[in-house]
Amino acid sequence: MTNAVSTKPGRPAASDLVRRLPEYLMIWVPLLLCAVHLVSFSLWTIWISFTPSTLVPVSGWVGLRNYTAVLASRNWQIAFDNLLLFGSAFVLLSAVTGLVLAILLDQRIRGENALRSIFLYPLAVSFVVTGTVWSWLLNPGIGIQKLVHDLGWTSFKFDWLIDRDMAIWTIVIAAIWQSSGFAMALFLAGLRSVDADIIKAAQIDGAGPIRTYWRIILPTLWPITITVVVVQLQFAISAFDLVRALTNGGPGIATQLPALVVYDLMFQRSLLGRGAAAAVLMLLILLAVLLPYAAWRYVQKRRATHA
Amino acid sequence: MPITTTRRRLLAGSAAALALPAFARAQGAVKPRLTAISQWSAGSDGAAITALGKKFEEKGGIWQHSPVPGFTTEMMNKLRAQIMAGDPPACSQLKGPEIAAWSKIAPTVDLDAVVAAAGYEKVVAPDLAKLHKPGGKWIALPLQIYSTNMLFLSKRAMDKAKADKIPVTWAEFNDLAERMKAGGVPYPVANGGTRPDDGQKFEAALAGISPAAYRAAIMNLDAKALKGPEIKAAFVQVRKIADWMDPNVGAQHFSTNLKRFIDGDMGMMIMGGWAQGVLRNAGFKFEDFMIAPGPSDNSKPVFLLNADAFIFWQRKEPDLQAGQTLMAQLVMDPAIQTMYSQITGSIPVRTDVDLSGEGWSDGQRRTAAALKDAIASNQAVLSLAHNMAQENGMTAALIDVITEYVKDKTIKPEQAATRLAEAVEGAR
Repeated sequence: MTNAVSTKPGRPAASDLVRRLPEYLMIWVPLLLCAVHLVSFSLWTIWISFTPSTLVPVSGWVGLRNYTAVLASRNWQIAFDNLLLFGSAFVLLSAVTGLVLAILLDQRIRGENALRSIFLYPLAVSFVVTGTVWSWLLNPGIGIQKLVHDLGWTSFKFDWLIDRDMAIWTIVIAAIWQSSGFAMALFLAGLRSVDADIIKAAQIDGAGPIRTYWRIILPTLWPITITVVVVQLQFAISAFDLVRALTNGGPGIATQLPALVVYDLMFQRSLLGRGAAAAVLMLLILLAVLLPYAAWRYVQKRRATHA
Repeated sequence: MPITTTRRRLLAGSAAALALPAFARAQGAVKPRLTAISQWSAGSDGAAITALGKKFEEKGGIWQHSPVPGFTTEMMNKLRAQIMAGDPPACSQLKGPEIAAWSKIAPTVDLDAVVAAAGYEKVVAPDLAKLHKPGGKWIALPLQIYSTNMLFLSKRAMDKAKADKIPVTWAEFNDLAERMKAGGVPYPVANGGTRPDDGQKFEAALAGISPAAYRAAIMNLDAKALKGPEIKAAFVQVRKIADWMDPNVGAQHFSTNLKRFIDGDMGMMIMGGWAQGVLRNAGFKFEDFMIAPGPSDNSKPVFLLNADAFIFWQRKEPDLQAGQTLMAQLVMDPAIQTMYSQITGSIPVRTDVDLSGEGWSDGQRRTAAALKDAIASNQAVLSLAHNMAQENGMTAALIDVITEYVKDKTIKPEQAATRLAEAVEGAR
């Protein structure tokens, strides 16, 4: 990185340190601040989750009482079931949509740049805006259903937003619209980085385009697929603003998600202890996703250095 | 930074508060100043509190109001932060049982002397007074009252149903709804889809069926009353109401549908008195709609109370203490309450204000009369949906059950009643 030749390799000269001081400051100060913030507030939340805090944080010890109360509540149970459904459907469908879009864009078509921007654009829209716009589109009285009715097909029915069993899928739809462009961008980069020689070799061997994709190109994409899945899962677990704007947990409490429950407990019901317990449960769910990912990364890295 | 209010601090606080009026007189030279926070930033609410501030300044005070727009809970977040930082506002908006809950986390001002001097206690509904003196001493003052179960009738929908009689009991209400439906009103009940909206339907139903059962089950959380037949009957009535509502409203605010209500596309609306202000602001005329007390099966008006109030937080600064005394006097003043209610469409807390004069609407006069009758027949109860009957945590647990029931027609009334009782146990 540095082209200054130091007198003793491995031990930079004092002048070298001084010269590189701004770099160190730039990296380490924000990193430390972030780490202290993150770790200290996480620890603080964990502590609060074991106290009888309600309106304001208080000291005291109630053991696991906040946790058992949260786990026994209908709100949390509905939120957890919704998270499983929403998380898996959203991650799977947005990855598939992103991959299909990337493969289509990969055909060296005209206007690729414009199309790429269009598909990526929803990512630039905030979740609150996405949620609000989709809440209008999906409202049967004013949105898509009304449009189709006005066009003459009066038996058409699309009222998922107000159907408690289907409402969670409206969040899946809006979330896919918002973030499949992100998956597409990552997949496209992956497709473009496949060695052209391998593809040529496959073509010489007589493989058609479908077979080339299926047997040669897609298998090289799986590290990217895992990245996409992990990033999208993090979003799914912490989803808040989209749901709040789109259904606000309704109809009734049918589309509750864990982050909504945390906010509701802490700030609407003034039950800080229980809200903190729900937040810690969310953290545990997140760790259940991130720890295997970190382990996998570690194994990959070791394998690479050994090879 | 945990806040623990020790007994000694509380004692010191009350002693200081007791000395407050004398202290304020001694510091007569000081210019009264008031720091206040509320959620009232815009519309008629904003206009009303600004007018109150003007009066405060006319009396020689310095008015420092910082509105926190949005829901009450957002104002509470600011209040919580200020209290934890040891810098509470001299006065803040707060209402219902939250007054008692919050008074435990920071010392409040004892207003007994000021209240006694104004002879205020005699003119306030007893249930309401109790909320503002949790430890037996006045620490907060109610400012204005709304009823959450007023019945609004669309004139055009009434014409379609060829009806002109205002329904008094739930049976008459149901009858009118059927006639509206038959007369071509697609949705006999107008509504929004928010949580308080659903809560209001239930509290209006239960209190209308039996105010005594409402008091026992919802206000006192009596386990036996919660399993009583009135709860089930209320849920049956709520299901009827829900079937007459437009299911497409999703989570919309009630005001979104006011035009359809006036047009006769929707017939009746069970809403708080504030809807009158919203209707008038939207440009609709008094000829377009009628206002009456909500249905009551014993034909005597039932009044579901919702009252906004100010709580006073202890401050050491003499100018703030003088400001608190001045503010308390203003809030209790009949002229100020008249000014305030005429702007917002509420009714005054004082039951001795004469509403016959100009500036009051028929709806307000009817509301005030209903309150008087309801107090006399012990049928003035505290609203659940608007956080007057229970603290926020308990209220939310109950509304969860109600809102799910309104939106999910597969839940049976008896199931909902059981869940309501379970929710109370879970939230205790």
